[in-house]
Amino acid sequence: MPGTTRAWPVLAALLAASVLLAGVLLLVVRVRTDMIAFLPEGRNEAARLVLAEARTGTATGLILVGIEGAPPAELARISKAMVTGLQQTGLFTLVAGGGAALPHSAGEALFERRYLLVDADFSEAGMTSALRGLLRQLQLSMAPLALQFGFADPVGAFPSMLHGWAGASPVRMLGGAWFAADRDRALLLVRTRAGGMDIPAQDLAIAAIQAAFRAASPGRSIGEPSGTARLLVAGPAVFARDAARTIKDDVERISILSTALVVLLLLWRFRRPLVIAAIAVPVLLSVAVAALAVQLGYGAVHGVALGFGITMLGVSIDYPVLMIGHRKQGEPAMATRARIGRAFVLAVITAALGLAAMVFSGFPGLSQLGVFSAIGLVAAALATWWLLPRLVVAADLAPVSAGNPAWLGPLEALRRWRVAALLLVAVAAMFLIVVGGPRWEDDLQNLSPVPAESRALDAELRAQLGATEVSQLLIVRGADAQMVLRHQESLIPILDRLKADGVLAGADMAARLLPSVVRQDARRATLPPSSAVSDCLATAGAGLPFRPDAFAPFLAAVEASRTLPPLLPEDLADTALGVRLEPLLFVRDGVWNGPVALRGLRDPDRLRAALVGQEGVMFVDMRQELGGILSSYTTEAWRGLAWSGLAVLTVLTVGLRQPTRVLRVVGSVGAALVATIAILTLIGARLSLIHLVALQLVAGVSLDYALFFARSLLDQEERARTLRTLVTCNSMTLLTFGLLAFCQTPLLRDIGQTVAVGAIMGMGFGFLFAGETPARPAS
Amino acid sequence: MPLGLAKPAAAQFIHPDLESLMTRMAAVTERRALFREERRIAALSQPLISTGSLHYRRPGWLEKRTDSPVVERFLVDGDKVVLDTAEDGRRSFDLGQAPELRALVDAVRAPLAGDLDALRRGSQVRFTGTLAEWQLDLEPLDDQVGRLLRRASLAGSGDQLQEMLSVQANGDAFAMRIRQLT
Repeated sequence: MPGTTRAWPVLAALLAASVLLAGVLLLVVRVRTDMIAFLPEGRNEAARLVLAEARTGTATGLILVGIEGAPPAELARISKAMVTGLQQTGLFTLVAGGGAALPHSAGEALFERRYLLVDADFSEAGMTSALRGLLRQLQLSMAPLALQFGFADPVGAFPSMLHGWAGASPVRMLGGAWFAADRDRALLLVRTRAGGMDIPAQDLAIAAIQAAFRAASPGRSIGEPSGTARLLVAGPAVFARDAARTIKDDVERISILSTALVVLLLLWRFRRPLVIAAIAVPVLLSVAVAALAVQLGYGAVHGVALGFGITMLGVSIDYPVLMIGHRKQGEPAMATRARIGRAFVLAVITAALGLAAMVFSGFPGLSQLGVFSAIGLVAAALATWWLLPRLVVAADLAPVSAGNPAWLGPLEALRRWRVAALLLVAVAAMFLIVVGGPRWEDDLQNLSPVPAESRALDAELRAQLGATEVSQLLIVRGADAQMVLRHQESLIPILDRLKADGVLAGADMAARLLPSVVRQDARRATLPPSSAVSDCLATAGAGLPFRPDAFAPFLAAVEASRTLPPLLPEDLADTALGVRLEPLLFVRDGVWNGPVALRGLRDPDRLRAALVGQEGVMFVDMRQELGGILSSYTTEAWRGLAWSGLAVLTVLTVGLRQPTRVLRVVGSVGAALVATIAILTLIGARLSLIHLVALQLVAGVSLDYALFFARSLLDQEERARTLRTLVTCNSMTLLTFGLLAFCQTPLLRDIGQTVAVGAIMGMGFGFLFAGETPARPAS
Repeated sequence: MPLGLAKPAAAQFIHPDLESLMTRMAAVTERRALFREERRIAALSQPLISTGSLHYRRPGWLEKRTDSPVVERFLVDGDKVVLDTAEDGRRSFDLGQAPELRALVDAVRAPLAGDLDALRRGSQVRFTGTLAEWQLDLEPLDDQVGRLLRRASLAGSGDQLQEMLSVQANGDAFAMRIRQLT
């Protein structure tokens, strides 16, 4: 064909230019796969602090390790070997897998200052019971232990202090290693020196853990059962890595598969590679422009946005396909554009409006998805509108088959069943009413891109290690560490009273472990004179076989306490005690924070009432807070939905002019939405913000279909073209979003599922309701 | 027969009879005995005397029941330790949590089991006497263990353990006489 020969160079040049532009822009764009964009901001100061700590605090370096799948003795051996191996790497501030919770060396600083750090009973009655207790201990099997501290600390200050520092742990000890209480799984707890969001450092740390496991695992010594033990790792840093990897895998798979499938479909439909080349131009340009816009607006493109944006090509590719698919053989291109122009423009405007709700959802990750998609969509439409007509004519592109198809009649006759379809929609609506509406997602965690299995493993290991995340806490703030400790100390009597009243089960805080300087000095000031202590000892020891000088080390310690400097948090830096204290007393943005973890809080209102008037103390219930954040996002999304619905309706009323046609178009979109929600509810999905946004996408796609079906005064040939073209568009949407439904990233999977189901519904109801009533053969 | 305190071993000497003693000890699968223990504690003006019974089953099960002056049950089963008194109730822990206690337990359990390896893992071992009248002196190798136990001496005849002396870190001595029940 002469047209083809003329067109080749132009088309090839344009395509090459588009490819080049897209390639260069995608190289320039920085792709992020971390999760910060998907972690919410708090709504108040306390929540913001807790969430910021969760994002970048010391706890992000925590890695929970499990080893299972081998006999317990073998697991214990591997665990101990791993602890030794990991300690040697220098990458970790904490490596714990067994043994005593605190090493001896750590305890010395505490032992020396025992009478400054905790209250001791120096009264005669207290001393009497202490001496009787000691004598009894000396007669039992554990006498060697009693001998160790009994005479230096008969009042038992040191053990009660150690108890606080060691904390309660549900782990079971087997062969010198920690084990889960409920199964044969050895447990280790490590904390990296680097922060959890330092991905390269975390990669290094996790590689070190894997290497230590491999080095310790069996298979090297003969006769031992080989290679059965499995390594499990969890924690914020592991999450970040898992999510990043999953997102990357998903995005790569989607891009390759959807491109291949769409190209195959178009080849089958148009039978000419030139058509593919022509369609590729606006699509490539749209990706490039969208990526660039997001890069400019957000500083980087998130992998999730990229994956979703590429999937959105399944929608934006509709535009060139609609243009070429509607062309009559030999028609001037501008004539095609004029013919479908109104439906085309309306479709683009409404689709972009539909995405606006996503842009303004307030959920940072999601709004990026919206911006990427909306800009991509508009760019594809503009490129189709301005570039494609010329290309189409130059290359003489048009659908293969034209003419008068025999199949159209019987197919359109299906529209007689409109009433039945309406009934089906009514049934779907009834179903939704009967089950009390769709189920709503109430856990913000489920919106995170971290795969559910990783989160489940983390929760399990945390529970087994006794490192569960505290959800109800007080934040005590101050200009320096001492101010925070003093403030916490003033709360202790209040909290103790609440505990006695059954309002809460307990409260853990830094001040219980390390009292403020003021409190230590106060204890020092109230130490009884040495003569009084000896008198008390003498009275208490009357009738007991203790020699007069038995408690000389005790008296010496009390005496030493009068001159010892108080113990400061700084003194514990880089010790096992410091590691324990760090998450309880830390500085952020120049302000010192001391979280008070509340256990078993039964009555938050009474707690709030008791804390009225306490400056610098904030109560935060993270579970409630996260739920609140979620519902405020959802409210935002509903508001966006309402506004964009209103805007779409306005555009349609202006654009279509006839109220009946507006009703048909809107009705078919509404039917598609109701049916989609019913189907999602039926398959057990919990609807979230993500679904809400995806439903807007469904509305946009359905509107496309409805608008093209609803064009009036079409001849049979044109109706056949429309139907064919729309089926092509629909298939592409199904292919791309169907693939998305198989992603590991929950967010992408939810969108894929919703849009795939919705696209089928939109096509079906658009065809049935939006199209003209079948023409009688007679007319 | 009071037991002489062994001097710290100048050099590691492995007596040829040590292995045969261990073999003989290992041949006994179960032992029952009564004990009387005298604890001489420097800070106390009089010794603490306790009495009760011992029960051992190869290889790792050892029970010590004290009847007087305080009733207590102390049980080691492998690495698991159970302590039971009327006042404190039942408590259990793992020897892995307390390496110094493991040495105390092994000082008694390893000779009864005839487990020379376990014995020498934790202590320097010195054999004196004859198979008919022997003495084992144990000195913990680990500094951590040294915080609780300075040294221990066991004495016996044939496959019977008759006396045990443990010297605490502060020099206090606990001496136990054991009478086998047949």
